[in-house]
Amino acid sequence: MAVRSVSAYSVVQAAVRGLYSKKLSPDTWEALLDAEDFEIVLSLLSKTAFGPYFEEIPRDRMTPRRAVYQIRQRLADVYEKVIRLAPDRARPLLLWLWRLYEVDDLKATFRGIEAGASWDRVRFLLYPRHKYSLLKLEDLEEMVLSGSVVGAVAETRGTPYHETLAHALNRYEAEGNLFPLEVALDLAYTRSLWEALDRLRGQDREHGMRLVGSLVDLDNLLWAIRYRAYHHLSEQEIINYTLPFGYQVKDDDIRAIASGADIASVLRRIYPDLTGLPALENRKPASTTPLESIEVALQRRLVRMCYSEFVGSPFHIGIPVAYLLVSEYENRDLVVLIEAKASDLPRERFMPLLVTRSAIYSAS
Amino acid sequence: MFRPENMKRVELVVPDSIVVQVTEALAASHVFHPAASHLPQTDHIPPGGEDWREQATTFANLERRVLAVMEDLGVSEGPPPEETPHLIEPEVARVDLEHLEQQVEGPVRQLEEQQERLEQLQEYVRQLQTIADLDVELEALRNRHYLYALMGTMPTVNLARLRSSLDIIPSVLVEMDRHDHLATVILFGAQRDAEILDRAARSAYLKPLDLPETYRGTPAEVLEALRAGIERTRRRVREGEATIRRIHQARVDHLRHLLWRVRASRTIVETIARYGQLRNRYVVIRVIEGWVPESQLPALEERMAEVSDQVVLRTNDPEKQDEGEVPVALNNPGLLKPFQDLVTNYGYPSYRETDPTLVTALTFSLLFGAMFGDVGHGLLLLLAGFLLISTQSLSVLRSLRGVAPLLIACGFTGAVFGALYGSIFGFEHLIQPLWLRPVDGIQTILIGTVTAGAALLSLGMIYNLVNALLVGDVGRLLFGHNGLSGLVLYWSLLGLVAGRFVGRLPIPSGVFLALAAVCGTALALDEILANLVNGQRPLAKGGWGTSLIEGFFILFETAISLFSNTLSFVRVGAFAVAHGALGLMILILANRIGPGQGFAYWGVVAVGNLFLVAFEGLVVGIQTLRLEYYEFFGRFFSGSGVRYSPLTLLPREQ
Repeated sequence: MAVRSVSAYSVVQAAVRGLYSKKLSPDTWEALLDAEDFEIVLSLLSKTAFGPYFEEIPRDRMTPRRAVYQIRQRLADVYEKVIRLAPDRARPLLLWLWRLYEVDDLKATFRGIEAGASWDRVRFLLYPRHKYSLLKLEDLEEMVLSGSVVGAVAETRGTPYHETLAHALNRYEAEGNLFPLEVALDLAYTRSLWEALDRLRGQDREHGMRLVGSLVDLDNLLWAIRYRAYHHLSEQEIINYTLPFGYQVKDDDIRAIASGADIASVLRRIYPDLTGLPALENRKPASTTPLESIEVALQRRLVRMCYSEFVGSPFHIGIPVAYLLVSEYENRDLVVLIEAKASDLPRERFMPLLVTRSAIYSAS
Repeated sequence: MFRPENMKRVELVVPDSIVVQVTEALAASHVFHPAASHLPQTDHIPPGGEDWREQATTFANLERRVLAVMEDLGVSEGPPPEETPHLIEPEVARVDLEHLEQQVEGPVRQLEEQQERLEQLQEYVRQLQTIADLDVELEALRNRHYLYALMGTMPTVNLARLRSSLDIIPSVLVEMDRHDHLATVILFGAQRDAEILDRAARSAYLKPLDLPETYRGTPAEVLEALRAGIERTRRRVREGEATIRRIHQARVDHLRHLLWRVRASRTIVETIARYGQLRNRYVVIRVIEGWVPESQLPALEERMAEVSDQVVLRTNDPEKQDEGEVPVALNNPGLLKPFQDLVTNYGYPSYRETDPTLVTALTFSLLFGAMFGDVGHGLLLLLAGFLLISTQSLSVLRSLRGVAPLLIACGFTGAVFGALYGSIFGFEHLIQPLWLRPVDGIQTILIGTVTAGAALLSLGMIYNLVNALLVGDVGRLLFGHNGLSGLVLYWSLLGLVAGRFVGRLPIPSGVFLALAAVCGTALALDEILANLVNGQRPLAKGGWGTSLIEGFFILFETAISLFSNTLSFVRVGAFAVAHGALGLMILILANRIGPGQGFAYWGVVAVGNLFLVAFEGLVVGIQTLRLEYYEFFGRFFSGSGVRYSPLTLLPREQ
């Protein structure tokens, strides 16, 4: 192991291990799942690493939406800390991972504009910013205040997103929906993420490719399946709306899905060990749709890969990336839980959608 | 000079009826730094009272709209007015602005339409030029019975994907041209596959050339028509621009006046919205809290007395718990201002900490001089500094006057080190060195500069001890990486290294080893020990295991960084050596070009020296800044202080 790698990653991996120890424990998850309502969820979370984020807001103003925003605030802080401590060579990839939230924010902003929502309504649907954010909160506010998607795209001038959005704008104007803008953003973002991944070398590349490459695989597969099953797009459209690269998912797999091959067979060919696809196998979806089942199964698989990164040599990009991805899925699970508890959904309705908890049990 | 100015917490209690006058007077005093109020703010609006927050939003929107009109007309903000504007009624500003917007909106929209049309026509021309030689009428391409043809632009990254998506469809994608990230292409196929091809092209973001059907004929004929259209549109654009210029001239002063007034009003109402509020049934009292330098307090009291005798002003010293929010006003003499700017560019010391400006001035000048040692070059910088101070005429030079003391100090130390190195304008043998020539004593100078670096790092750590003592942070003082443990560890390691190279030292190496072991352990356990002495529990916040692992790696990182930070100062010696080598290179070049030491020789020497001063000055300046910020400041300076930023309605020169 190169001394330079040890020196470069010593601080970030120590910090990440410190953060990792504050992850929600299985006992806390059990208590959260058993919580009778949103209030109890808040009380339980206030005793965890999320506690300080809830203290900022008076309890009577803590709506589910605000709670989700505060949870995301912790994710933003975690990203900022990890990016700050990461060595220069790891930083571009981590920055691009963070920009996924900016892409999501752009989409949320466009949807807000389409729905005629005010800035106050849109604001708490967004991810909190930090010093590495390219789009500041004021930029997004200007976009909403412009009052139109065309005006909002003009406001993105000077960011890496503008070129993509500006070219896709004519399709938005012609078709009158956000689909072309969102797909263009997703594709451009994933290409940039892949370029950052491709620039890594040695162990960084190996571990980065394993995790982020799998993340790209997951998105690419889900896009292909979604475009075929839900949007009923043609083979050519599916190919154009997906990407020709990946870690385990090859272009042939995507083309097979696009051309109408059996999705379950394709998935089994790519991931012979993949479990948890009852909806596909039995064709009797209960609380989840087949696509959700596939999504959750692949996400759980990715989270298990992330957990396994914490075993073995720690001086590479794998540890920070794994922690960030686990944090992301933990956040998503909490969002599902909060929304479920706020809507009084029974446990069996939302349990199948949780990713990290199930992955913990599978891993142990 | 060594400490930030003493500050006083000021609390003004004023009746709501005079809150605007008091706020304007506070802004005009230029000494009042507002602080967040501990009392309720504008949650409870008395009947008939003003909602200042709403007004702030109104003014923010008005400001945005004024700026939009100014942008449309190409009007810059201009300098702030001589006289500070007063609060304007939002309704008055709104009516005024609407009148201006009506006047501007029509001509601007027409101009934008013509500009868009011009861009569109130019885009058509750019695309059609790629098929200018084609002797086929465009209608024929549009209305083929059997052939499908679609021309347009698409992102180059999508080209390969579109081609591969059409693998099984008989088709050809011809790339005609590339421009930035876009390619001009024509997609050919069979008309029977038109729907498939259309959908594929659309999904690859192929933007079709939507040339209106009125353009008929061959591409060459259409291009001619388009160029005529471009000419006509350009004429209309010029006319539109002339109209905008006329409105600009007529309205420039009006717009600037309105902008500054709205902006000042926004500041006033935003400030008032943050005041605390006390109320009873009949009267609303505003409580204004903030900070004022102790030396400015009498003047502020006098000014408030002039505004009204109903203003009650109370002052307090900062409490221990307030220290994180006490603003920091650094007050150094004018000569040290550029060095103060270097410090504040990094961050502000916290209120109880020392002001490192003076020591920065000394260390910056010395480090710069050591790397830039040349009597002639130093004197040139010195001269440039004096010129900047004395020049009155050129505004560009006047704006650079602030850096003159920096040039003078660095020029002076450069000249002194030049004398020590025996170097003048790159000539290494014209004067005898007072110390040594860097190129003749490379090892000596490298060891010397690393030793100086170790001294500077130690100074940084001692500064950290002083700061920790001043803020009463015992944990940081004893166990911080740059506290007593860090300093003793560093000196022990230096002692061990020195013992290895020098031979016998008065202190045996066993003592150094023992000290290093004790201090290293203290550093690894710094968080736990700091919590212990500061009385904070739990001792290990993330659990003992995590803290110990983290502590071990932080100790490892500290040791590596101490080593690399010390070696970082090798660059000081390396630059001194490089200077001699560069000077020699210029002389070799001059001898080649002008062997007889005539005009050409001296020309090359002069130009070479000017290049050296500019190039080396820039590089050495950057390196010095790096050493100051990363190696020196990083030891003691958190930069967590709050900048003293007095309330003002107009931007002021610092």
